Amino acid sequence: MKVTIDGKKIEVEGKRTILEVAREKGIYIPSLCDHPRLTPFGGCRLCIVEIKEKGGYPPSCSTYVENGMEIKTRTPRLQNLRKEILELILSEHPNACLICSEKENCDEYKSTIRKVGEVTGCVLCSNNGRCELQDVVETLKIDKVRFPSVYRNLEVKKGDPFFDRDYNLCILCGRCVRVCQELRGAAAVSFIYRGSQAVVGTVLDLPLLESGCQFCGACVDVCPTGSLAERGIRYEDLPDERAKTICPFCSMGCELEIDLKKQKILSSKPSDEGAVNQGQACVRGRFLIKDVVHSPRRILMPLIRLNKELEEVSWEEALDFVAQKLKKFKGKNIALIASPHISCEENFLLRKFASEELKTENVDSSYRFSPLPRIDEMARENGFELNLNFEFKDISKAKTLFLTGEDIPKSHPIMWLEVLKAVQQGAKLIVASPTELSLNRYSSLWLQIKPGTEFYLFSFLSKLFFHEEQETKNPGIEGFDSFKDSLGEFDLSRVFEMTGITREELDEAFVLLREAEDAAFLFGTGLTQHPWGTQNVAALWNLALQAQAKIFPLGLENNLRGVSEIGHNSSDKGLNFNQILQAASSGELKALYLAGPVPYLKKANLEFLVIQDSFVNENFELADAVLPASTFAETDGTFINGEGRLQRFKRVIDPLGDAKPDWWIISQLARRMGSIGFPFKNPSEITKQMIKVIPGFSNISYADLEKGHKVFAQKKMKKEKSFLPVRHIDLNHNKSKKYPFLMILEYSLDYYRSLALSQENKGLKAIRDSRWIKVSPEDTEKLNLEQGERIVVESSSGKFKGFVKIDKSLPKGVLGASFLLSEDSEFSVNGLIPSVFQELHSLGMIPVKIKREK
Amino acid sequence: MEKIMSEYTKVQRELIHLLHDAQSKFGYIPAQMISQISRELKISESEIFGVLTFYKAFTLKPRGEHLITICMGTACHVRGAPMILDEFERKLGIKAGETSEDNQFTLETVNCVGACALGPIAIADGDYHGQMKTREVDEIIKKLKQEKRKSSE
Repeated sequence: MKVTIDGKKIEVEGKRTILEVAREKGIYIPSLCDHPRLTPFGGCRLCIVEIKEKGGYPPSCSTYVENGMEIKTRTPRLQNLRKEILELILSEHPNACLICSEKENCDEYKSTIRKVGEVTGCVLCSNNGRCELQDVVETLKIDKVRFPSVYRNLEVKKGDPFFDRDYNLCILCGRCVRVCQELRGAAAVSFIYRGSQAVVGTVLDLPLLESGCQFCGACVDVCPTGSLAERGIRYEDLPDERAKTICPFCSMGCELEIDLKKQKILSSKPSDEGAVNQGQACVRGRFLIKDVVHSPRRILMPLIRLNKELEEVSWEEALDFVAQKLKKFKGKNIALIASPHISCEENFLLRKFASEELKTENVDSSYRFSPLPRIDEMARENGFELNLNFEFKDISKAKTLFLTGEDIPKSHPIMWLEVLKAVQQGAKLIVASPTELSLNRYSSLWLQIKPGTEFYLFSFLSKLFFHEEQETKNPGIEGFDSFKDSLGEFDLSRVFEMTGITREELDEAFVLLREAEDAAFLFGTGLTQHPWGTQNVAALWNLALQAQAKIFPLGLENNLRGVSEIGHNSSDKGLNFNQILQAASSGELKALYLAGPVPYLKKANLEFLVIQDSFVNENFELADAVLPASTFAETDGTFINGEGRLQRFKRVIDPLGDAKPDWWIISQLARRMGSIGFPFKNPSEITKQMIKVIPGFSNISYADLEKGHKVFAQKKMKKEKSFLPVRHIDLNHNKSKKYPFLMILEYSLDYYRSLALSQENKGLKAIRDSRWIKVSPEDTEKLNLEQGERIVVESSSGKFKGFVKIDKSLPKGVLGASFLLSEDSEFSVNGLIPSVFQELHSLGMIPVKIKREK
Repeated sequence: MEKIMSEYTKVQRELIHLLHDAQSKFGYIPAQMISQISRELKISESEIFGVLTFYKAFTLKPRGEHLITICMGTACHVRGAPMILDEFERKLGIKAGETSEDNQFTLETVNCVGACALGPIAIADGDYHGQMKTREVDEIIKKLKQEKRKSSE
């Protein structure tokens, strides 16, 4: 197709709008409502063009190019029309500053006068200088507004976390409404009322907190005015620097742009070029980076315990002290906890340090709580390698999706976007969850199973697959017969009794799965948290083989895949995470090196404890030395996201205080212990060595990685598919009179190193406090509890504290609490169980009772 | 409410029909109805709110026993509809769009009822009163007060 725009001949392929083509060719057409990632809207009318032999002035954002079109974008007639249209828009937007002849000289004063309640001009607006409306006024050279100004005098909405909504500045472009509906699937805002009363709002004008908003900030990022304004930068000036990094808060690995002013982080935004996130982020990446890096809980000086107290000392002194002490502990009596939050290079060094200097195989980290390592372990135990070579975007191509054990719009918001894309393209979504999830709106079928009965559900579905084909042919996959036999105990007449769903619902799910082409199974910690977690995963695995589905295990921490690749070939002789913690309290271990978060080690019986961390935590009271590590923002390195993508990240700011990057600390310690194996001057040198040594990185070239090319860790497949026989399990979690509630856990991603994000940030605390104990409305009423009231949850072997959160989505008799490693011990669900962790990294579902705190 | 729900297939395009039925059944759209519709039709609550505040036919507050609608279309307007409206407002002690405190009357305006030849028009509980004069206002109100509310169509 050939078209001409402003005399320029352009070749176009496919169905494209005039505006898209013009943008691509660098031809500027003013527009306010259009956004490259959203559907055309045609609201602002600024992008009008003239097309030869067509009447009128069609908007280029919603007119598609046709062969032979001759388009003009900036005739005097068009410019005049645009000016008039813009004047109309401006008549309802504070415009005095926009057209003020003094605006050039006004700059110096604006930051102080911004603290007024009402924004009546640009100098009072926090968006001054980054406003698209300003830009358009500038290009169209508007110097007067001939229509009467209207100030709508709407109340500014300041009650929600993170951003204010001042609809007096709104030009009703609808970008926020569209991004929320089309891209994020939340639809928390909509146009409400009509005509001159029309405004963007929520149901019954409720706060965003009560209208399904996930606070991803996508609306703030697309707003062309100051109507949606991030509160954190309200009184800040424009940034003087911008840097890119990889978000450290989950296994998606979103690319973020960080705005800086004088080496301080102002805000973080999703990067448009992010390979995974493409201009989207979630509440953590969008609003929490600044607070985490500049947290008042940061430790900025090395500390050692000389007498009774921890004292601030120089690095020299601290390193010598630790090196001297560590020399005394070798082999079995020392262990090291690494961290899935720090870079691959640093995890590689920690392992190297443990084996070469500490001569111990006791190295592990909390990454094992994630479903990904769990299914990987299971596969290895059964003698095959799991195919982990997938990309997140494969999910959007699936035709049927089966989701269990996670509320992904909350836990993995960027992964949810891929699911949403699939659903928008007509995919069927099956959800199995005991609680009602916001994404049910997009599901074809919601199986409200009894908590913890996923195993039964999968097995019953497998059984139906066998029933379907009486003369079942062995599809040539190993383990077929023994699997078939192991399902013998599942009596289909007991479906309802065992899982809480009806036979009809089961059949419906089966039909969806049987007819599925390109099915994708997504599963989260809801499956793996139980003592029978391995059985859950095995049952899901079998079902996936029958339905020919791909499995996507959801991860927790950002670099868990990195930790898993780096530790992949190490022997399993050493103690694992739980065993290390148990050995620390039993006295089996004499020394412990903590470079990653662990629960409070109150009962630890250690001679020497080193903590290398960025944040103050409870274990400091037991520590003999504390080495202040910098955060991701202060160092270079590589993270590997859940799909195995290696992503380099660069230092954004200099290390705060005396904090040092983890790789530096380990190298220095090793050198002081007499090693010559740690001569690294920068992380790149470590990267080079690491990709040579680690088998999963064998196909990777350093040059590709450095240039930011698409680089994946690869798994070599040995033997891949095999059915696994399932064991019939008795879900031994019967409630009793004494403990009438079941506590289900949400493995929370809201932590970074030893910082619980919701305890650091007020906004996140309002959305989801890690100290909430969720109670169903029925139970709240029965027990006469109030929202926010402090309660104690008790099991037969322990207790913990929390605050009542009434949650409509919970069935009665079930409580919900979040589990994260960095929570203070009194508020941590760890309090419920006798030993720090049970085997298999699982807390499971625990029968409990609740009472008011006295 | 369940009954209304059950009469419709649960597809999103039924939203307006559902709202209409709820409106005529309850005289308004109760807030909890929004979340129920949201769950059944799989439309977000904010989107439903957007639809129901767009149309004048739906209200979030209960309407009075009697509904008086004044046509403010062009033809009625030039033939004195504003004076009729004024008179109703004065007599009932409420403004257009409001409901009297005793919940007896709701006064509304509408932009054209398509009977311009009869203007100015007032519609009282479904009865059309054409070529209204201000002195007839009192009569209509008195009549309504005596009558029981006719069942709405």
